[in-house]
Amino acid sequence: MAILSLAFKSLLNRKLTFFITLFSIAISVTLLLGVQTLKTETNSSFMKSISGTDLIIGSRGASSQLLLSSVFHIGNTPNTIKYSTYKKISQSPAVEWAVPISMGDSHKGYTVMATDLTFYDYFSFANKQHLSVERGAIDDDMFAVVIGSEVAEKLNYKIGDQVIVTHGGGEIEGHHHDNIPFYISAILAPSFTAIDQTLIISLEAMEAMHTDNHGHFGALPGEQILPSDNHQDHDAHQHHDEIAHEEHADHDAHQHHDEVDHEKHADHDAHQHHDEVAHEEHAEHSHQDTQDQRIARLLKIKPEKINAIFIGLTSPQAILGMQSYVNNYQAEPLSAIIPAVALQELWQFFSLAEVALNIVTAFVVLVGLLGMLSIILMSLNERRREMAILRSVGARPSHIFGLIIGEAGFVCFAGILLGVALLYLLLFTLQAPLASYYGFYLEINMLTSNDLFILAIIQLSALIIAFIPGWLIYKYSLSDGMSIKF
Amino acid sequence: MININNLRFAWQKEPIISIDALSIEQGQHLFIEGPSGSGKSTLLNLLGGVITPQSGDVEILGQSLNQMSSSQKDSFRANHIGFIFQQFNLIPYLSVLENITLPCTFSPDRKQKALSHSGSLQKEAIRLLSALGINDTKLIQRSVNELSVGQQQRVAAARAMLGSPDIIIADEPTSALDNDHRQAFIKILFEECEKENITLIFVSHDATLKHHFSHHMNLQELNQVSNKEAL
Repeated sequence: MAILSLAFKSLLNRKLTFFITLFSIAISVTLLLGVQTLKTETNSSFMKSISGTDLIIGSRGASSQLLLSSVFHIGNTPNTIKYSTYKKISQSPAVEWAVPISMGDSHKGYTVMATDLTFYDYFSFANKQHLSVERGAIDDDMFAVVIGSEVAEKLNYKIGDQVIVTHGGGEIEGHHHDNIPFYISAILAPSFTAIDQTLIISLEAMEAMHTDNHGHFGALPGEQILPSDNHQDHDAHQHHDEIAHEEHADHDAHQHHDEVDHEKHADHDAHQHHDEVAHEEHAEHSHQDTQDQRIARLLKIKPEKINAIFIGLTSPQAILGMQSYVNNYQAEPLSAIIPAVALQELWQFFSLAEVALNIVTAFVVLVGLLGMLSIILMSLNERRREMAILRSVGARPSHIFGLIIGEAGFVCFAGILLGVALLYLLLFTLQAPLASYYGFYLEINMLTSNDLFILAIIQLSALIIAFIPGWLIYKYSLSDGMSIKF
Repeated sequence: MININNLRFAWQKEPIISIDALSIEQGQHLFIEGPSGSGKSTLLNLLGGVITPQSGDVEILGQSLNQMSSSQKDSFRANHIGFIFQQFNLIPYLSVLENITLPCTFSPDRKQKALSHSGSLQKEAIRLLSALGINDTKLIQRSVNELSVGQQQRVAAARAMLGSPDIIIADEPTSALDNDHRQAFIKILFEECEKENITLIFVSHDATLKHHFSHHMNLQELNQVSNKEAL
């Protein structure tokens, strides 16, 4: 104990090197634990992307591809499931619910997903949480769109705003479906899943946009094809800004656009989420559907094909049976994946990166410890006098050895404590920005037993590394004895 | 008190010490004269039991160092011998008080004796310092780096005396001091050793100090290794 207090005082006497060593160990500990935390949190946020869905059905292909496109909205699968197949599968006795999903369009880089209203009832994430509406209400209108929280925040959208959907992924400017504008009926609360970056429309509207290979509906009997509806000159419309879109949507009644115009468009008879002022001012314009929208409403075309089906089964025991039934479906090639299993499989792809990250951080810690080693080694020569004095008052060589080990142990322990403190400081500072800018919810937890194990390993390594200078000084103190050597 | 018989020590096959017989009585103040290279520090290390001779024996207080394990020798040294060195005797990161009471860390015996003397280690340290001519009681909390060389040597002497060891071995303790301080230091050291009945072994190359001591010997004459070299 007395030796440890000597070690501590000796350390404080060398404040500069002590603090440098302390910080290098602390930073490496922070980095190591930070990577561990990020890994666990990424994994858990990844695993939370979908829950409560027993099977996802897509066209035959790689399960990871189906998972990526249907849950993470990354990449595309061909929309080849016949709607009739969906109908048939949803009527299977084992199926409790089935939600059709269709994708392929985007809005300013955000995925547009078409589904029906059952999606909101059955889709769940994390611990079987359902999507919740933050503003507005989910509307069964054909041209209502529900947007994710990040879409709303980044594009600064409010309830009633008008949205034009673009064909394709959005990275390359595709065709604007500007003949069918949508109005925002609801903004979802953040779920920290891909839904935050998604716009959800109805299947019928999706079909309406794509009917006739991106051409447009003709005129209803008695109506003329209006020039503004008839976009033969696609090139001219490639780079419309928002106002231009609205102009198209606005052909009938409005000559003068002002700010409230946004609300006017949102103002059709079927929905209830308009701004009150706008409502009063424009009560006389009931709703201005475009010509195409009017036709689409009348036709109510169901899509012919969809991308994926989310399925909930009546009992978990039915999963495997249903999966093999789907995989061997005769009418068309389908495959069914179990989301939990597929997520786990997909995560395995990242395991290599995980290992690489682990190796890098382990080396960072090693470098921190080697820094400590070199600083202790450098101090040895100037400390031989100190050792000789201690020997003369009766210290054993083992005391001298303990002095060095104690010093290393103390520096490392203080470094670990400081590192952990830095980690939590960092986590608390980053939590809000990560959630708002990256849609990544960082949950702050206590150190796991794995973390503690890692810290124990670091502490132990420090003690083991200190055996090198400890052994050297032991040798010196045996040969120097009490003679003070310079 | 201290008996040396046929002591032989060589380092890396080079003989350094070869003393046939040396006897020191209790309470004696012995001056050992020896220029550098005469094996002074080796002899002190042998007396302290820090190094082990190849042959022969050192017997202190009737106990043979050869028969002790190295950790027993360390405890024995802590309990019975106080050392004063030439210069830089003190541990720079400890206060004056902590430096003086350092032997207590390794010797519970000396701690006990010091406590029975004055009641507390701090009081004992103040008592020894004032006996050695330092009356500033605030000094004991200060860093040793703030002291003059003369004060440092007196603090080292106080450390060597704390807890009344049987023997004090002083290795050129006055070489860093000027003449006035040197005389004063030796006088005080003598007084204290006499009072506590401590055997004092004072090693120096400075023959002018010889006249202070009742007993003296020349290490060059005693150590047959350096004899041979001289011849």
